[in-house]
Amino acid sequence: MNERQVHRYVQRFLDATDCTILEKSPAHFKVKLSPAADRALTNRPYYWSFVDRTGAEPETMSMLLVTDRTKFDAAEAAAEAQKQAKQQQQQEPKQNPAEPLSSAAEAALARSFGFVHGDLNTIRMPREEVHFGSRRLDQLFDASQAGGSYVYLFQEPERKHLLPYDSMPYTAWLGVNMKVEFASDRKREELYSFGVSLASGQCVERFHDRLLELKMTPKLPPNVHITKNGLSLSKALSTIEQTLERKLKNQDYSWAAQARERLDEELARIRSYYEPLIAAAIVENQPAITEQYERRQAEIRWQYEPRVTATAINCGIFHLAGID
Amino acid sequence: MLQPNQPTNPSRSEPAARGKLHPLVEWQFDRSWFDELQTRLNRNGPWDNWQLYQLAVEAEQAKQVTSFDELRCLRCLPQLEPMPHQLATASKVLHEMGGRAILADEVGLGKTIEAGLVLKEYIVRGLVKRALILVPASLVLQWVRELNQKFGISAVAQKKEHTWQYDIVVASMDTAKREPHREKLLAQDYDMLIIDEAHKLKNKKTTNYQFVNQMSKKYCLLLTATPVQNDLDELYNLITLLKPGQLGGQSEFAANFVVDKRLPKNEGQLQEALSGVMIRNRRGDGGIHFTKRIVRNIPLVLSPEEKALYDGVTAFVKERVVETIADMASMLSLVTLQREVCSSRDAVFVTLVNLFKKTAEDSPLRAKIWGLVENIRAITSNTKAEKAMELIREIDDKVIIFTEYRATQEYLLNYFRDNGLYAVPYRGGMNRGKKDWMMDLFRGRAQVLIATEAGGEGINLQFCHHMINFDLPWNPMRVEQRIGRVHRLGQQHDVRIYNLCTLGTIEEHIVSLLHEKINLFELVIGELDHILERFEKQELSIEQQIARLVAEAGDSSELQRRMSGLGDSLNRIRAEVQSDTELEEEDALGSLLDAVGQTIPMEASQ
Repeated sequence: MNERQVHRYVQRFLDATDCTILEKSPAHFKVKLSPAADRALTNRPYYWSFVDRTGAEPETMSMLLVTDRTKFDAAEAAAEAQKQAKQQQQQEPKQNPAEPLSSAAEAALARSFGFVHGDLNTIRMPREEVHFGSRRLDQLFDASQAGGSYVYLFQEPERKHLLPYDSMPYTAWLGVNMKVEFASDRKREELYSFGVSLASGQCVERFHDRLLELKMTPKLPPNVHITKNGLSLSKALSTIEQTLERKLKNQDYSWAAQARERLDEELARIRSYYEPLIAAAIVENQPAITEQYERRQAEIRWQYEPRVTATAINCGIFHLAGID
Repeated sequence: MLQPNQPTNPSRSEPAARGKLHPLVEWQFDRSWFDELQTRLNRNGPWDNWQLYQLAVEAEQAKQVTSFDELRCLRCLPQLEPMPHQLATASKVLHEMGGRAILADEVGLGKTIEAGLVLKEYIVRGLVKRALILVPASLVLQWVRELNQKFGISAVAQKKEHTWQYDIVVASMDTAKREPHREKLLAQDYDMLIIDEAHKLKNKKTTNYQFVNQMSKKYCLLLTATPVQNDLDELYNLITLLKPGQLGGQSEFAANFVVDKRLPKNEGQLQEALSGVMIRNRRGDGGIHFTKRIVRNIPLVLSPEEKALYDGVTAFVKERVVETIADMASMLSLVTLQREVCSSRDAVFVTLVNLFKKTAEDSPLRAKIWGLVENIRAITSNTKAEKAMELIREIDDKVIIFTEYRATQEYLLNYFRDNGLYAVPYRGGMNRGKKDWMMDLFRGRAQVLIATEAGGEGINLQFCHHMINFDLPWNPMRVEQRIGRVHRLGQQHDVRIYNLCTLGTIEEHIVSLLHEKINLFELVIGELDHILERFEKQELSIEQQIARLVAEAGDSSELQRRMSGLGDSLNRIRAEVQSDTELEEEDALGSLLDAVGQTIPMEASQ
């Protein structure tokens, strides 16, 4: 993800969670979080449990999210220079009389920090660098996952109210996005997206891409009826499992063969160490050494054993126009 | 009404389907999502947001680990610029060593960076979730900070019992191996274990060794610059901890590879076995491996009033030394007065006032002390501060000023402010948050950072390459620490060091000792440790020895003679150290280690 993609992602996340954007540029957002986003991002469980229990009006946090640090800093520096130039112009005719408050604040700060220059005491809106790999972005990723796992949606009909008493047939689909991990001591991943029509049982790949071309809504649109399902959900699930398994079986597994080879080598290596050690040990010590040997074996299996796991990223029931 | 129009099966499916995809490969298909979907269908919700659903998929697409062997973590670390040997090392550990290795780089080549890269890569790939990092107590916070700041890894320092529950914990070895912690840790499976200063595991019989041996871990990194010091067995033990059998059983090892404890045989074979578990990068022989240090002494003449104060204090100190006779502690504190005058009148003022309060009311000393305080009143300007100001204006770039005294720091902050210069303070007593804030201000708007502390909680200031020693500590190690803040790996520029030095004072002697005699400012990193270690073996610490010299010397020329003697003995030790290192390099053990790894041709800067 480059800066632009990150920026776009943040924008969409803030929109989806109803946050109020106070200020933005292509390099940053100043945002007042919505309660939902605050819960997800600020790590204040005690505060939120207080709000939930007492019914107090929540005060959400504001944040400065910087998506392009270089640009943002450059813009800030320019603005600062401008401000200073202005101030100098203003200060020349007469001294600013609004001193007492700021000097009191300065004194308070000075007590705790030693001396701090007056111009530096502004209220700090926590600045967050949001780039790929930053903790804040990971948190947005996690929050997206948490708030976008299970959906139940309808396609919005393209033509509206053509004939008031006509009804369009819709088909329900089971859709799921899956991550498949190929792991030994190393790892790689593939992503899959399947959709199974609950009417006909046909299985479609790259289902998510197809959804992205449609407009979806959580409400059942008017003048729409859902085709009777001919297939149970469990049947749809096993269709997906079988399709995926078939696809995976045709993959190249030389990586697994190599991992197995490493595993066998490692097992042989520790065997060569522990077997003579156990044989030579006095009887009382044998159980302890055997136990250690077993633990080392378990560690090596854990480390090298080739395995493939498929987990769902998210899933849902999607009602799409047409009978498929 | 939105129920799917068929009855859902109330009986739960298996949590996961299992099977074999290939004779060698186990396969698992998670079904928990399906159960949850059914539950929500039966309860008619709640349903999630379609936008977030799409964003969740995009997040997975962005995070997808597409290939087995690239270093994906680099995309996540735009601020980090690892050096080529660090990347090569991380890559080798990940792709050729299965994540179990001894990182044995020489000091200063960035073992921590290498370990951080490996850990981050495994985390990004989802192969490590829980990791434990065991280090000496003094390094715990530094590790936590490096992992958090450089690598964006949420590591936590172990403080309380419940800290162990966090995914990534940094703890001191001494704590971890003690009950009740020990039992807890042994009951865990750690995806990764990292041990810094791992030479402390070289003895099989120690609790350290046994504890680590009993721990259950998948990947494991041992970091040490000295994998073998005295005995080949140490090396054997370390490697056995990591990969038992790599060098055979103990007796096989002894028979195949050992002639004497420091003399290996069948080196070729041994090296090959070692290179499967150990990586050692060494500095090239380029002489200077970092950017240059350019030192300038700036001689200053005290104003008549300042000189009067200095002379007054010196006379007072001499008198008192004669009276107290060789009580080391009070001698040190007296000499401190002299050092303080060289820094600022504010510094000496605080001490004098305290001394005044401590002195009995009827003591004749009181009048003398008060006389000195009167001397202070006569001083209206600070020659050094003015010079510093002039320097900073000339440099016109970020500058860090070090002083030993809090009062001087305060004075300079005020003085600079009055002259329209942004400066921020930094000192040991600040808590972490304040320190970070000051650091941010310095990185951003403030041109000057005034620090009283250099050591301990490593402040890294590679973005700044001008440093003013407003006054010098007497302990060379602390001077080195100061310089080390800016002159370290990652510094792109030559580092300019300015020493403010008032003529005709003890400061002049100190500067000449540290700079001209032992050439402290240009020593190879790490060399000073060895020199001081040997020097202080003899008797007092160097700081104490200097204090004694100063207090006991009759006049300036005697002081100079004796300081010069001290410098000579330091130089002798330096020569010894150097010849010893050369010897070591010819040593069979040394060459064995050197063969396991590469020499880094460090760019010697012009």
